[in-house]
Amino acid sequence: MKLIELDKITFAYAPDEALVLREFSLSVGEGECVALLGDNGAGKTTLFRILNGLSFPQQGSYRFDGVEITAAYLKKQADQKRFHKRVGYLFQNPDVMLFNGTVYDEIAFGPRQMGLPNAELEARVGDCLDLFDLRPLAGKAPYHLSGGQKKQVALAAVLALNPEVLILDEPLAGLDRKTQEKLLRLLRELKAAGKTILIATHDPEVSSALADRSVVLEKE
Amino acid sequence: MIPNWMRSTDRYVPPRDGGTFAIRTIQSLGGVMSRLQVQRGQQQGRALPAFWKLLLLLVMLVAVSVLQNRLALMAVTALVLGTLSFWPAKRLWQTLKSALAAAGLTLLLLLPAMLLHPAGASNQLVIVWKVFLSLTMLNMFNRTTQWNEITTALRRLHVPGIFVFTLDLTLKYIVLLGTLICDLLSALQLRAVGRHERKYQSVGGVMGVTFLRSAELSRETYEAMVCRGFTDDYKGL
Repeated sequence: MKLIELDKITFAYAPDEALVLREFSLSVGEGECVALLGDNGAGKTTLFRILNGLSFPQQGSYRFDGVEITAAYLKKQADQKRFHKRVGYLFQNPDVMLFNGTVYDEIAFGPRQMGLPNAELEARVGDCLDLFDLRPLAGKAPYHLSGGQKKQVALAAVLALNPEVLILDEPLAGLDRKTQEKLLRLLRELKAAGKTILIATHDPEVSSALADRSVVLEKE
Repeated sequence: MIPNWMRSTDRYVPPRDGGTFAIRTIQSLGGVMSRLQVQRGQQQGRALPAFWKLLLLLVMLVAVSVLQNRLALMAVTALVLGTLSFWPAKRLWQTLKSALAAAGLTLLLLLPAMLLHPAGASNQLVIVWKVFLSLTMLNMFNRTTQWNEITTALRRLHVPGIFVFTLDLTLKYIVLLGTLICDLLSALQLRAVGRHERKYQSVGGVMGVTFLRSAELSRETYEAMVCRGFTDDYKGL
């Protein structure tokens, strides 16, 4: 059985607006890495919102690990939290992900809620800080960081939850070459560790270096 | 090198968590803000220049608020409804909907006074009538005038440039800020996978980031305008 199954989903933001996705189908197996390519406005971010249960298709179905993800399903708090724990989402704009006072608190936000013992929590946050060389910034306000640093803090905050699926909306955009290479190495390691990864990118090099297969979305 | 805990799957059962009222309230507020689009004026009713329409609107609003003569009020109502009768049904309903809702709310608020003092009920009904009329005229103006025409008209009426500028930026960015609030709360919700002990701290964080972002946006916009020749003499964008 596939982990993610989208069956002929159709989506528009309003009834009188143009369709963003029309009868789109996609299956992703556990541990697979799929790159989504497409022009601006082709529907990559919309698709990611659907995969994260932030929007729901008007037609078709979305099944995650065999369970159909609907608004009614995610209304149940336990199901919603379990689902969000399993699926991590890096927004295209990291600014919308950072709302804590310090970088440390930002990364610790998820693990704190999981009720991890203090020592484990500190170790987990420390590991995430080290992954991105963020220790010197731990006490700083995320708002005042540069764009690239914000993106790394946002990704560290997602990884701190240890999700099984990583949905990354243009994670390398706006980063310098060195940071891009560092991030690509990290993503390869995560893939090798069995994480399922969906990545939206404009860069064919990224998809060829990382993805098992690519899916091209075309504008309606 | 990724740590070992990232190589395995957490065994995790989410605990029960309540009290999401504040987050849901702000989320719905952000949703409303993000849907607030500055109305684009339609072709219908654009024969009259915005300046004259604005002037006429102001005169009519003042007249409606001070008029005591019911016959005169009826004449204004007939004029307004007569104009509206030429509009397509969909736009007519959109224009009247909020005016009717506001009039209904006013009636509800005045109802106790009307029941306690039935003698003054007819005067209170006039207030409801005036609310309906004023809002209908405002909606008509809004639906037939583009926002940039309104700012130009305001300047021609000698409204201070700084006032027009602030108003313009507020209306333009309220939609962006609404979207920002929604996105921040979505991101919060996606990572709120357990018992959230510091809800109000997080809500405060979201509001703080929104405030900082709004200040930054307005500064950046002002600087971009200056770079394109804006000299604080506001002639409408």
